[in-house]
Order: sequence, then structure tokens, then C-alpha cells
Amino acid sequence: MRSESQPDYMRRLKLDADELANRRRFFGITQEDLERLGALRPVAERHMTSIIAGFYDLLLEHPRTREFLGDPQLVNRLQRAQQSYFLGLFDGRCDLAYVEDRLRVGHVHERVGLPLKWYLGAYNRYLQLSAAALRKELPLAEAQLAEASLQRLVFFDLALAVDTYVAAQIETVARHRAAVDELSTPVIRVFDRVLLLPLVGTIDSARAQGIMETVLKRVSDQEAKVMIIDIAGVAVVDTQVADHLLRATAAVRLLGASTILTGISPQVARTVVELGVDISAMHTRSRLADGIELALSLLGRKITAAAS
Amino acid sequence: MIVLETCALPIDSEDDVVRVRTRVRDLAQRLGFDAFAVAAISTAASELTRNAWVHGHGGTATVEEVEEGGRHGVRLQFHDAGPGIADLPRVLKGGFSTRRSLGLGLSGTRRLVDDFEIESQCGVGTHIVVAKWARFGART
Ligand SMILES: Nc1ncnc2c1ncn2[C@@H]1O[C@H](COP(=O)(O)OP(=O)(O)O)[C@@H](O)[C@H]1O
Ligand SMILES: [Mg+2]
Repeated sequence: MRSESQPDYMRRLKLDADELANRRRFFGITQEDLERLGALRPVAERHMTSIIAGFYDLLLEHPRTREFLGDPQLVNRLQRAQQSYFLGLFDGRCDLAYVEDRLRVGHVHERVGLPLKWYLGAYNRYLQLSAAALRKELPLAEAQLAEASLQRLVFFDLALAVDTYVAAQIETVARHRAAVDELSTPVIRVFDRVLLLPLVGTIDSARAQGIMETVLKRVSDQEAKVMIIDIAGVAVVDTQVADHLLRATAAVRLLGASTILTGISPQVARTVVELGVDISAMHTRSRLADGIELALSLLGRKITAAAS
Repeated sequence: MIVLETCALPIDSEDDVVRVRTRVRDLAQRLGFDAFAVAAISTAASELTRNAWVHGHGGTATVEEVEEGGRHGVRLQFHDAGPGIADLPRVLKGGFSTRRSLGLGLSGTRRLVDDFEIESQCGVGTHIVVAKWARFGART
């Protein structure tokens, strides 16, 4: 059962039968382990309540984790989820449905913002409490075998939990990036038929692609005659950035418009010259204000003081 | 020459271009490089990291703070186990690219730095060492 908002981690983590088999092999989980744990389900059921209580004692006695569990109702719900999680270890299976279930547990904890370190520490407590229970119930040799099986399965679970955390982080970064990219191609109409694109930050291949598309679309939509690109906020102008600027200039020219490059600092000017890049295809001005003046003159207009 | 500090960074995605050059820029600024020297060594880092990624299929960048005769400098080493450069003299002349880009990265980098060494063998890989030095008394 998957809730509406849960991302498809199975697909994202490429968790198919193959990957599952790989992981099981790597963590050393055998059919024997699963059967051993399955047979211990009655033991697990008997000790479940006290183990989970012990687990929450750890979370509640520690001030930093207590913050996450402020709401008693939430604790109640989590404890119930915890029970099904705990008993899941003694289901005697480790198939794709099991994996999906584990990913959901990781996702829930990630979403409430529980830092991974507390999550991992709490798992450790789980193992200790379970080991103590097993030793109470079983002869030592058997208890040790069961502990080893349980440990393998818990580590398998942990890897899945870490994966959901990482996947969620990557997604957050990608989302921010998309938002920034959108913000970072703000084409401004400064005057009739004159557009300004202030570039800020880093221009990698992906972003250059987006910039090119936006620029061409806006130039053609607005029948612009001049495109001013201001690079005052660009960290480094290397040959790749120069290449992108030159390509944009060439494409803009095909649409019948010219490009003015502004915001060139002395060190950028010198670096570009040393690199040997020929930017004579673009008009250049060091200051944006001069670029705007040039744009107007290209349109046969100029700024004059109002007659008093 | 004494190596005061060294840091090895993997190059295995395009994002590493920014990661490496940010590190280089911070170090150059800390050593009191002037604005052009900072831009020059950061741009060199950008070019060489991208080459190691695009042409060399990934490798490592080593960013080092070095000192010689009382002068501080930034030394950068780039290693990759890619295809190597077949015609080095032609590439160093500039304007040649196997990727339809400008082909000015290596030749331009050479002009931006104070020391430049390159070793490249077809089928083995490429190793490039560059350095930029602060002016005497630059460091506060
Ligand atoms: N690390 C490398 N490994 C293999 N080939 C390289 C490497 N760096 C540069 N080259 C070769 O040298 C050429 C010129 O490099 P460069 O001057 O940086 O220009 P560009 O990267 O625009 O092609 C590249 O097209 C490539 O064939
Ligand atoms: Mg290059």
C-alpha cells in the first residue's frame, strides 16, 4: 500500500528483482536466515511491546530526538507503525514487497525530518533490545545464530533507509536547482525591442541550453533588435561559457538581432584575452549603462536630458 | 618547493568543475592573490577539470598550497586514465578540438598560469600540473 505522496523509490533506486538479489547476496541474507527469523515470530510477538517501549525510551530521553516526538498522538501512531515494522523482521521473507515496505518506513522518517544519525542510533538500540530478548528465550548458541540473522536483515533495512534519505535529498536539490534555473534566466524588456538578460552564478551545459532556448524565444516573441547579456554576476568565464555566449550571439543574429555583452570586469576581460577567445562577434561594454546606451543608438535613438 | 596543504577531489561529474574551482578560488584568495590571479587560476581549474571529465572520462584533481623561496602558490594536478592526447603540439597551439568546442582550453590555460607541465600518452591517460604564484609579500 502506497500513500499518495510517496515518491516511487522502487523505480528511482532501480529496485527490481535483480537488484534485490544483489543486495541479499551482499548482505549475506540466506533462506535459512529468513526461515530462522520466521520461526521466531511468536517470540517476537511476546517481546514486541517491551522492545518498542525501550526503543522509544531512548528517543524520548534524548532531548534532540524528543523534539521530533513532541506530539503524544504522533508517538502513538509511530509506535503502531514500529510494531508492524518490527514484526516484519520476523515474517520470514525478504522480497520486493518487503523492500517497498521498508522504503516507506525510511520515507516517513525522512519526511518528519528525523536526522539520519538518530535513525541509525535508534536501530542500534533495536538490535540490543532484541538480542537481550532472544537470549532470555533461547539457548545461547541458538540465540547467537538468530542475532546474526537479525543483524543481517537489519543492516539490509538500514541500507534501504539510507537510500531513501539520499534519494529525497537529491530530489530536493534537483527541485531547488530547477527553481533557481528558472529564476536565473530572467529576460527583462528594458525598452521597446531591447531585452536584457542578467546572468548570475555558474553556467554549465544544462543551464546554457535553457538560457539559449529562453533567449531565442523571447527575441522572436518580442521581435527584439538587441539582446543585452550582462555577465557581471558570472563567477568564471572560461572557454565553455564563452562558447555558449558566442553560439547565443550567432543564433540571435539569425533572428535579425544583435548581442551586447556587458558587465565585464577587468580580470574577466584579461582572462578571456589570455584564453585567446575571439568575442568580436559581440558588441562589448564594461558597464551595463553603456550597453543600454549602445542598444538605443543601434535603434537610432538616444537618451537626452529633458528640456526645461 | 614545499607542499603545505593538499586535497584530492574526484572528477566524476560536470558538477565537479564547480566544486574544484570553488576550492581553488578560496585558496587563491586566502593566499592574497590579486583579482586577475584569482580569476586566472580559477579559470585554469575550470578548463582542466572539464577536460578531465569530458575528454578524459573522469579522474582526480589535486589542489595544493605550495611554498618556494618565501613565495606562496597554488599548484593543481589533474590525472585521468582516458584516451590521452594524440597530437599534443597541435592541441597546445590552440584552436583544435575533437568535440566541436573552441579548442582553446589547454593553450589558454598555459598562458594563464606560471608553471605548466603536461604528460599524455595514448591509451594511458593524461597528467597535467600547473601552478600560479602570489606576488612577494602578498600574504597578510
Ligand atoms: N584530459 C584529456 N584527455 C584526452 N584528451 C584531451 C584532454 N584534454 C584535452 N584533450 C584533447 O585536446 C583537445 C583540446 O582541448 P581544449 O584545448 O581544452 O579544447 P576543447 O576542450 O574545447 O576541445 C580536446 O578536444 C581533446 O581532444
Ligand atoms: Mg577544454
